[in-house]
Amino acid sequence: MTETMTGKMKILVVDDERLNINVLVELLKPNYKMMAALNGLQAIKAANSASPPDLILLDIMMPEMNGYEVCAQLKSDPNTKDIPIIFVTAMGQEESETKGLDLGAADYLHKPISPAIVEARVRTQLALKQNHEALKDAYRLIETQKKRMQTELDVGRDIQLAMVPKLFPSSEIFDIHARLEPAREVGGDFYDVFSIDEEHICLCVGDVSGKGVPAALFMAMAKTLIKSRATTDSSTASIVTHVNDELSIDNDGCLFVTLYVCILNTQTGVLLTTNAGHNPPLIRSATGEIKALKRLDGPVVAALEEFAYKEGTFQLNNGDSLLMFTDGVTEADTEDGQFFGDPRLETLFAERTTGKAEDFVAEIFNQVHQFEGENRQADDITVLVIDYFGTEDTDTQASIELKLINELSEIERITDSFMSFTNNHNVPSIITGTICMGLDDLLTNIISYAYSDGKQHEINVKISMLDKSIVTVISDDGVPFNPFQQVSPDVKASIEERKIGGLGVHLVKKMFDKVSYHRNIDKNVVTLIKLINQD
Amino acid sequence: MSINISNNDGILIVSPETRLDTTSAPEAEALIIAALEEGGSKVIMDFSGTEYISSAGLRIILKTAKLLKPKSGIIVLCNANEQINEVLEISGFSTMVSVYKSQEEALTALNS
Repeated sequence: MTETMTGKMKILVVDDERLNINVLVELLKPNYKMMAALNGLQAIKAANSASPPDLILLDIMMPEMNGYEVCAQLKSDPNTKDIPIIFVTAMGQEESETKGLDLGAADYLHKPISPAIVEARVRTQLALKQNHEALKDAYRLIETQKKRMQTELDVGRDIQLAMVPKLFPSSEIFDIHARLEPAREVGGDFYDVFSIDEEHICLCVGDVSGKGVPAALFMAMAKTLIKSRATTDSSTASIVTHVNDELSIDNDGCLFVTLYVCILNTQTGVLLTTNAGHNPPLIRSATGEIKALKRLDGPVVAALEEFAYKEGTFQLNNGDSLLMFTDGVTEADTEDGQFFGDPRLETLFAERTTGKAEDFVAEIFNQVHQFEGENRQADDITVLVIDYFGTEDTDTQASIELKLINELSEIERITDSFMSFTNNHNVPSIITGTICMGLDDLLTNIISYAYSDGKQHEINVKISMLDKSIVTVISDDGVPFNPFQQVSPDVKASIEERKIGGLGVHLVKKMFDKVSYHRNIDKNVVTLIKLINQD
Repeated sequence: MSINISNNDGILIVSPETRLDTTSAPEAEALIIAALEEGGSKVIMDFSGTEYISSAGLRIILKTAKLLKPKSGIIVLCNANEQINEVLEISGFSTMVSVYKSQEEALTALNS
């Protein structure tokens, strides 16, 4: 707008008769800055100049280019289309009036002009223009805010996804997998799985009320509080009570979180649980029977200060599975309002064909997405499955622990020691050979690629003979790396096409009965299990 | 010496002792290359004394096969135990390289 500097708005008068221009200029110049143009071309030039007019008074009857043509041209140029045009003419017929308005003119004045009417119409049109500009600015502001909010939601979702573990502790006693799929707007779900010590694992699932960054941060706090408390506190009731105390102080945002926290003693199968307002998890026995763990130990967390939560115990038997989830699963709905529901989930669990925990988690997600249809996910969906195999093997019969430094020449000593160990224990030679191969391939990879500081490092190998299996655990403090995540090589390629890389890990994956990797704070831990068939 | 090399009428017999893996592969490779440079294009790898192989061992077999191809040469294996056979199956090597139950069979096959 041109009036900001001088306070006066600018009006352009276009007429081929000087006399007419003078009349209007005299009339309006006390209140406005005036410009004049004698023909269409001059008018268009003035409208496109560095300081264009805020309003144009346009004569229609002009030689060469008439007012209609000028108007049409100005309206078709994005640069000038927003300048209001008032036609001034002697032609008083209605027909020409509609033509002018159709071309985009804002108003019409008839000669002989009445000064009062001219002033009034000019004032009105200029006011309208100002409002229009203000609206445009406001809209731009809204767009910016909207983008900022979307970014905030995205940041919230990134925080949420980064906080939940993708790798899980594993052993021959259990198999765990979990997945979280966020809704388009962050819904506040989370889960966590971690080893507390050699025998105990903590598993938790929760759902924070609210969306966006505040919910994501609240979730991060809850998760961190649980994990840090669990390192010293073996009671889930006590852990949740403590977390509730911390979160309900200064909870001005009035956020709260449903929580299900449990600690599993992997040796005994005893599960200690505390349910704070969360939907009950399901247990599936080896025979396919489903039971919901219905007890409720207190309200949602962060709602009531100083609440003493309770806990319950449940005995997991060999072959049992525990399914924890958030209501994103059971409350998924179809377009016509049908819910996925608990019964459907229970049936899915009961009819599960045995497979890895990861496969079953994927199956649940497939079913939910199929049920609700495309692009309909309204809430976060979280699923956690733990399959408990139990320990049939009571005690380790024998074990050997070896250390080596990160030099390839050390590997021979390790495989030699292992071979003499198995000689003393009647291990079938194929098993010895397979484990030696595994040691060779994995240790070679570690020594070759795990360290970038050129220093000496210690690698640990522990091999235990159990009743029905031999378990090999290799741990190193090199860069975080999961060897089993790599793509398998093409074993059908011909001699010319074969590449060398990746084969070692492929052999290990195929020749051991179970392989797993997890990261234990600062160490990579690889576990290989080979079953011994008793003949 | 963890790799035994002998020559049977122009055919190179390679017998890894105990293992064909990261530890013994460099030695095997050096010996094979040296022996082949003196002439000869047929190799038998005899695993009767070998307890296991790892992917490093497969690498040696593959390298040897690639070395021999331009000479129209051939490498075959024999006396593989259970572990070695499983490795050859899973890696797909058993489709690329012939495996015989004894050295006699291998020699017969190469001489025909």
